[in-house]
Parts: sequence; structure tokens; C-alpha cells
Amino acid sequence: MKPLDWIVLLGTLGFIVIYGVWKTRGSKDIESYLKGDNSMKWWTIGLSIMATQASAITFLSTPGQAYEDGMRFVQFYFGLPIAMVIISVTIIPIFYRLNVFTAYEFLENRFDLKTRSLAAMLFLVQRGLAAGITIYAPAIILSTMLGWSLTVTNLIIGVVVIFYTMSGGTKAVSVTQKQQMAVMMGGMIIAGIMVVSYLPANVGFGDAVAVAGKMGKMNIVDFSWDWKTSWDDRYNFWSGMTGGLFLALSYFGTDQSQVARYLGGKSVGESRLGLLFNGLLKIPMQFLILFIGVMVFVFYQFNQPPVFFNDAAKSKVYGTAYEPELQQLETKHTQLFEQKQQAVQQLVTALKAEDEAAIATAQTKVNALTAAGKEVREDVKAVIKKAVPDAETKDTDYVFISFIMKYLPTGLVGLLLAVIFSAAMSSTASELNALASTTVVDIYKRSVKKNGDATHYLNASKMLTVGWGVIAILFATYASLLDNLIQAVNIIGSIFYGTILGIFLVAFYFKRIRGNAVFYAALLAEAVVLYCHFYTDIAFLWFNVIGCVCVIVFGFILQGLIGEKDFKIKE
Amino acid sequence: MKDTHPVDEEAPISKPPFFKSWSGMYWLVLGNLAFLILLFYTLTKIYE
Repeated sequence: MKPLDWIVLLGTLGFIVIYGVWKTRGSKDIESYLKGDNSMKWWTIGLSIMATQASAITFLSTPGQAYEDGMRFVQFYFGLPIAMVIISVTIIPIFYRLNVFTAYEFLENRFDLKTRSLAAMLFLVQRGLAAGITIYAPAIILSTMLGWSLTVTNLIIGVVVIFYTMSGGTKAVSVTQKQQMAVMMGGMIIAGIMVVSYLPANVGFGDAVAVAGKMGKMNIVDFSWDWKTSWDDRYNFWSGMTGGLFLALSYFGTDQSQVARYLGGKSVGESRLGLLFNGLLKIPMQFLILFIGVMVFVFYQFNQPPVFFNDAAKSKVYGTAYEPELQQLETKHTQLFEQKQQAVQQLVTALKAEDEAAIATAQTKVNALTAAGKEVREDVKAVIKKAVPDAETKDTDYVFISFIMKYLPTGLVGLLLAVIFSAAMSSTASELNALASTTVVDIYKRSVKKNGDATHYLNASKMLTVGWGVIAILFATYASLLDNLIQAVNIIGSIFYGTILGIFLVAFYFKRIRGNAVFYAALLAEAVVLYCHFYTDIAFLWFNVIGCVCVIVFGFILQGLIGEKDFKIKE
Repeated sequence: MKDTHPVDEEAPISKPPFFKSWSGMYWLVLGNLAFLILLFYTLTKIYE
């Protein structure tokens, strides 16, 4: 990194943090600390919701996912706008009427204390783990690419977030997220423009999209369904509309890191508009990020990509007995690239001439060379694994950062790193804030110390923000890389979200089911989801549906068995 | 002269912008989703 990159990176992050702390100083009680005095306008809420969901993993992994797998990941978000409408209509008015601090408070009002505590505990477990991954995921990639220590990178992200989240609470989280979203979207748009500008002079934007399409990357929507195979297909229209809907309902309706964003609104109307704002813009935003990944893919059809994007892992092979094998594969990779580059140029010429026969010939050639290139990459991964058994051989998360570091001009590298750090900080801040508020409101204030004064609970909230931050940093420091990082977060979420959503849906819509029935139904449902995760091949998005449906079905059965004895209900 | 109406005291909105009721806003979000799916499907078909 050049000095200008450091100035841009530190200047951007420093300004956001200092502004956030200054703007939100002086919380006197947990009403202002955890709900921001209910002063937030809809655009702050909307941007805050989007920034909370868009973690650094979104900006690092998503372009890599598009590079490898095309645009189809966008279908994962198709259920989100529907969820935003459902939450706006049903959940927000109830939360406002009961004037709750957390989503789980409502469950005691509807059921009993043990159901509230169970839901709060499920949230704390899954969000506590996710907070660690939210810090770790960008830290491992940035430390690898920039040569920084992983522990130092974890500490930089963690300590800065703890500082401003502890200082200003919910309001500081939302205020900083507005600036962070501006940096994130601005940086990504500039990166997208740069990628397209780096294409050869004879390849226009339309040609680039056409090439991507012919190479199978414009696979945005897939309506096909096969009863035998589609269940383990993670991203198609049907899994997005069902699993994605349930996941979005759980995440935005029952996950305190999101609920806290709109509970700080000035009114029901402000909170609704904030959520609907997200419903309108989330899919276009994800489309843009994926599309940048596809453009990076096209860029690498004309510029030789590395045979393996995690250069640090590949370098470990040098000096071992496997070095000659690696060099041989690298030579083969270069030869294949040169042949493919010519074939892609022929494809562009054929596309411009609209010559269908020539297009088909070039496409066949390009696809054959792409398949051969993939085989070489797999062989390289096998060599790395043999030479360094503990090396991570999945390199899609390194595709975008590798492009940034190698091709973007000085200054923009700093800005794109600011994008990644901003994203890491914005989602971690929401998580720490939510973890602290749930621990204080649902556990500590409710079951441990009931008669403290306002200052005591404010200090407890601040201490717990620090405590959860330290746990997240420790988890991040000792975590090992899990499959694809963005999927790891979604898998952890899906294991718990279905059950939590089931509890809330029973609370909202199935008045006949009472506290005891829903409590034991939730425990059974969680056992079923864990069984599916460990012993079946069912795609993780379906866990949301399975957990939720199990809570409702088991709830009905158990309520039938219990009868009317369990009739205690608070209105 | 001091400003006696700080921004923070601005009245919160009770109706959505551009629509008479919230249902109009909900249909906008759902219509936008339908439009995007149709657009994406068209792009998929054009470039496959």
C-alpha cells in the first residue's frame, strides 16, 4: 500500500468514527442508549438496516461468488421485499404498541418468561458466533493479502467498533452506518466503472455482458424445478422465494441486530418506510455487487488471472518438493489462457457480426478451454493441499481483493479497503449493540438484577458491549476458515432462525398455542434442524422453513396433548 | 434570532410519501420485485 492509500483509508474511517462519537455523545439511560430516544428518521433507519446486513463478507465474497458461479446468487434475496411488507404490516405495530426494547420482550407478554429466555438465548448463541465471523472473515483475507498480522487486523476492527458502539449506543451505530453506506456504495460503483474501463478498446460494455452470458455467468433467474435434485440447489427462484422469505422474516423480524435498527424510529411510519426502503433497494444493490464480480470475470478473459487467487497460500509451495509440479501447472495455465484469450476475441468478433455459426463455434472452444483451465486450477489446489495440508484451497473470497490490489490505482485501493473495513464495522457494531441490549434487557434486568437504577443499567449495557466485543475478537482470532465465508454466516443463521421465527409466528398468528407447548415445540424443532444439518444433504436455506414449520406443527400437537391446563396468557 | 424549530422536533410521518395509504407503498415494493424478476428473467434469456 502507498502513503496515499493509507491517508484515504485512515482518513475515511477516522472521520466516520469521530463524527459518530461526537454526534451521539451523552446517553443518560438505556432508553437513549438502546433505542436512541426514538429519534431516527426513515432514511437513517433504511440505510442502517442495509449497512447492518451488508458485512465485509458481502463485498469480499459476493464478487468472487459471481466470478465462480455467475449471477444466480441474487435469487437468494427474492423473498426479502415480501418479508419487508409482512413485517411492516404485522410486526412493527405490535412492537410499538408494547413499547419493547427487544423483540424477545414481546414473547413474555404473549407466552411466558422461559419462552422469552429461550428465544433470547438462541439469538445470543447464533449472533455471538456470527459476530466473531463478521470480524474474522475480512480480517483473514486482508491480513493474507496485505501481509498484516491476523490478530492485529482482528483487533483493529474489533477495538474501533467497541469504542464507538460503547460510547454512543444504538444512535452511534445508526449515525456511523449512514456514512459507511455512502463509502460502501460509492467505492463499489467506482470499482465497477474501473473494471469496465480496463476492458480492451474493442470490447464495449454490451460485448462484455454478451461474453459473460455466453460463458454462463448471466444465469440470473432459474425457474426450473426438479423434485429429485432441486432440494440441494442453494440458489434458484423457488428456494429464494420460500427459504429466502423465511430467512428474511426471521432476520428482520426477530433478530435483535435488525429489530433494534427500526425500534429506534420516531414512529411506526418512520420504521415502516425504513424497512420498505430496504425492500426496494436491496436486490438492485446485490445485483450491482454480483455484476461487478461478473465484470471482473470478463476482465480476466483478456488479462491473465492468477492460477490461484490466494497468492500467500500458493507461495508456501515454493521451496517444497512440489514446486516443479506447481511450475508445470502454471505454465499449462498460461498456455491455456493464451488460447482462450484468442477464442474469446473470436467470440467478441462473432457477436459483433451477429454470426450465429461463428458464435457457436467460438463458444464451444471457449467453454472447452474454460473447463481445461478449471481442471488445472483443481490440480493446483491439490498440489497446495499436498504441500501445505492445512492451507485453505478455496480462493473465491480472494478474487475481488486480489483484483483491487493488483489493478486499481493508488488512492482507490485505500478507498476500497475503507469499503471493506466500513462494512465489517457497520455489521459488527449492530451485532454488539444487539447482543448487549438482549443480555441486559432479556436476561440481566429481567432475571438477575431487577431493581437497578437507570445509571446501573446504562453502565451494564456499556460493559456488556465491551464484553461481547472481546468475545467476538477472541472467536475471530481462533476461528478456522469455514467453506465459503458468506455461506458460513448464513448457515449458522439458518440453523437457529427457523426455530426463532416459528416461535414468533405462533405468537402472532396461532393464539390457541400457549407457552408450554411452544417452548417444548421449539426445543424439538431445533433438534430436527440440527439433525438435518449434520446428517442430511438438505440445502441450508430449507432449515429456516423446516425449523419454523416444526415449531408450529409440534406446537399444535403438544397443545392438543397438554389440553387447556396451560391456559395462562397475559394480554 | 434563534431557530425555535430544531430538525429533531420535526413531526414524524404517519402517511407514506406519494401514496394516500400504506397499501399503495406495499404494492410499490411488491410491484418492484415483480418488475425486477421479469427484468432478470429477460436478461437471462437474452444472454444465455
